[in-house]
Amino acid sequence: MKVSYNELQGLCRKAFLGMGFGDGDASDAADMVAWMQLHELDGLQALNRGLDYLLAEQLEGARTPVMLYADGDLAVLDGQGGSVLGSSSLALELGFAKARARGLAVIKIRRCHNRQLIMGYLARIAGRGMNATAFWRNAQAPLTEQVVGFRAGGSVPEIRVYAVTQVPEENAHNDGVTLLFANHVELLPSMRSEYAYDLLACHRESDLLASRERAMLDGILIDDAVWDRLKHLATRILVESTEASRSGAGPGTDDSD
Amino acid sequence: MINRISPREENLRLRPPERVMDLERLGSLHASRLSFTRSLIRQMARQRWQISAARFDLDDAGHGTVIYRLQTPRGRYHGVIFSQPLDDEARSDRVIAEAWDVTFGVVEGEVDEALLEQMAANVPLQEAGRQHPRLLVLSRANRSLRNFDAFTRALAEGYQPDPAWLTRAGYLYRTTAVYGNGKFGIADFGRLKDNPDFQRPFSAQMLAVYLLRHFSIQQVEHIARRQAPATAVGLATPLKRYLGIGNATGLGMAPFLINHPQLIEQWVKSREQALAQISAQTPDEAQRERLLALLERARRHLEQTITGDVQQGERNRETAAALPDVRAWLEQVPLTADLWRELTEWSHRTLPLEAQELINTLLLELYPAIVEPFENRMGVDERLELTPEMPLVHLKQLIETHYDWALAVDFDAPDSRYWFWYRSVEKEEPRLGVRGHEPGADRELKLAIAPRVADTHRAVEAYLGDNPHATTVEFLIAHCRHKDIVRRIQTMAETPYGEIRANLWAREMKPMHLLRAKLAFFGAGRFDPKSDRWVRITLFQGAPLVEELNAEPDDLRDFDDWSFPLEPSPETSAPDSACLSHRTASHRTAATNGVAL
Repeated sequence: MKVSYNELQGLCRKAFLGMGFGDGDASDAADMVAWMQLHELDGLQALNRGLDYLLAEQLEGARTPVMLYADGDLAVLDGQGGSVLGSSSLALELGFAKARARGLAVIKIRRCHNRQLIMGYLARIAGRGMNATAFWRNAQAPLTEQVVGFRAGGSVPEIRVYAVTQVPEENAHNDGVTLLFANHVELLPSMRSEYAYDLLACHRESDLLASRERAMLDGILIDDAVWDRLKHLATRILVESTEASRSGAGPGTDDSD
Repeated sequence: MINRISPREENLRLRPPERVMDLERLGSLHASRLSFTRSLIRQMARQRWQISAARFDLDDAGHGTVIYRLQTPRGRYHGVIFSQPLDDEARSDRVIAEAWDVTFGVVEGEVDEALLEQMAANVPLQEAGRQHPRLLVLSRANRSLRNFDAFTRALAEGYQPDPAWLTRAGYLYRTTAVYGNGKFGIADFGRLKDNPDFQRPFSAQMLAVYLLRHFSIQQVEHIARRQAPATAVGLATPLKRYLGIGNATGLGMAPFLINHPQLIEQWVKSREQALAQISAQTPDEAQRERLLALLERARRHLEQTITGDVQQGERNRETAAALPDVRAWLEQVPLTADLWRELTEWSHRTLPLEAQELINTLLLELYPAIVEPFENRMGVDERLELTPEMPLVHLKQLIETHYDWALAVDFDAPDSRYWFWYRSVEKEEPRLGVRGHEPGADRELKLAIAPRVADTHRAVEAYLGDNPHATTVEFLIAHCRHKDIVRRIQTMAETPYGEIRANLWAREMKPMHLLRAKLAFFGAGRFDPKSDRWVRITLFQGAPLVEELNAEPDDLRDFDDWSFPLEPSPETSAPDSACLSHRTASHRTAATNGVAL
């Protein structure tokens, strides 16, 4: 089925509210998923893969990142194993604030999942005139790394995904994401290495702009099953009707005039 | 001769936000030259848009499909209308209805058979269908049964309908929802950003309503001709112009005003900036005369406005009764450079709210060259953003300076926390419940901004006690539930007119004021509240007709002068050949309807 961007964003927001997200987090999470889907980066599938986990998290109560270390231009936060949809937005805002003050900032969020989805909020930070780049490693074999870089003022990133064929000795499980923010310097990924790697995916800014244009013209293709699941979650925010609530809310059955 | 003042002087002349953004004042606004119906008509005329019927396929009862083609200098669009039989018991204006007399959409580009087939299968279902991404607007409407039957009968019998019918209900059709911006699969508004035809807010929706008005005229004439080919006559031009499109609007419109503060700021600011510029103009005698004539037309229009709502009726009477004083004041004073400012200050001191805002609305009519540039400033790229590096103490100051109206409320008082807003399971319609008495407060829709600001202010104060040098983002990492309201405060604090200054929890809060504020910017007239939560209004009553538009008028001054329309006299409504029969017949029909003429 095809849907519009506004429809996707709206349903995601209601579904996140239904899951127990606060208003601000629900809006941010919806924007992050919808941004990915708009650019044909499978945001809904990324959400769907982590949805059971996310629902369980919300039952336990929101896991907001905890600050482990911070100085003027560096901060390390513990994501407590939660989804980046939860409150990574504030970690990114922290990076923005530090880079504004110090020119360049590094933020590390340890122990988080759904990392793909962080791109949507990076787009927002970049839109405010900040160069922003995210780097993370996926644990599966082969070891893959992903770099997403936005230029300041840009609405779409350059993305590179590659497999590291010469696995380094230090290869501990890494479920974090490292974020770089620079006030004045572009940090776009450009592959150059003395060590062997296989480029698995390369999304250029122009490809993503074309995806967005296509989606705006033809609608956004979504998986009906995921859509239905989100619709079901969204019903949790609705309130059953009563006669009192209907009274005076609109025309009755006799509308002749 | 226009005397444009500098932005600095304009700022000095702007009315203060505590006055402008008061909810009751916003609920006293009238449609104006900056309203979206008016600016659409001007745009169509200026750019010589042409509307023609590409298909007119109706049966004797007026059921079938009609497609109107709209050609602009830039592109082509089509209004596709499906008219179908509807049982009287299924006819409801509630958003929860499932069938309507007509359903329709505006399409960007051509309509081929495949698209028409897709639309025929989905547009009549409205929310329950999956709509095509080339649809810019999706809408539906129900007939005004009394007017529709009376009009077809009169025209079939060869006489003109009584204009008084349109004074009582100024339309043959009422829309119950006009959807844009991606609803149910139609095109996102973002797609129109670079399209000069419809990049203004709600202009595509207004076009859809305008096409429906044209359809309603053509349909009623068609039915009359099919019923009695030998006797039927067409509708007289003054009656066509006096015919608008109705709309029934409920609480569904309220969240928009709260959730789009940057857009509301843009609408109100444009109006206020135009008024500030006008206040610096030195009027001449012709402008005074023009204002006097407009006052008289508005007075008569208000006298002809019928509402069953006691309070609105009283407000209309008070406004109409105040206007002779305005006339007397205007006739007595000399034409000084400060006359318009003196007029608005005098009216602020002495007149009821609706009369004050009526004067502002009429002043906008006098200076097209000042007002019209603001037409293109009604849109904005909306985004509420954090300023995370802002010192928290600065955020606290912002709240205390710009949201003092929110901090002034005691939210512990039962009457200050009386209502809560929620979404009903019935098509997600927004509703109001009484806190503590009705279910749903645990799923409250966060539309009341004032209590949230006050809550955040308390949390900020407490955090600053332990962290006097904290930044906003540090506070938010510790208290993330305040993220969206802080975002709003930081974005809106420097903009005077975005926040409606009211406690939407308060027992005395009137949701009707929210609805009227938005409807006035749309261009609505004849406000007829049916409760304090839903209202019937009329759009495009008095507006130029499609055939007048297609004639490509050179002089837009008269073409654009259609505010506060008046009931045409029966004599001017009737073509010469039908005059005599009209009089007898209209008395006969009026008698059967029990309407005094």
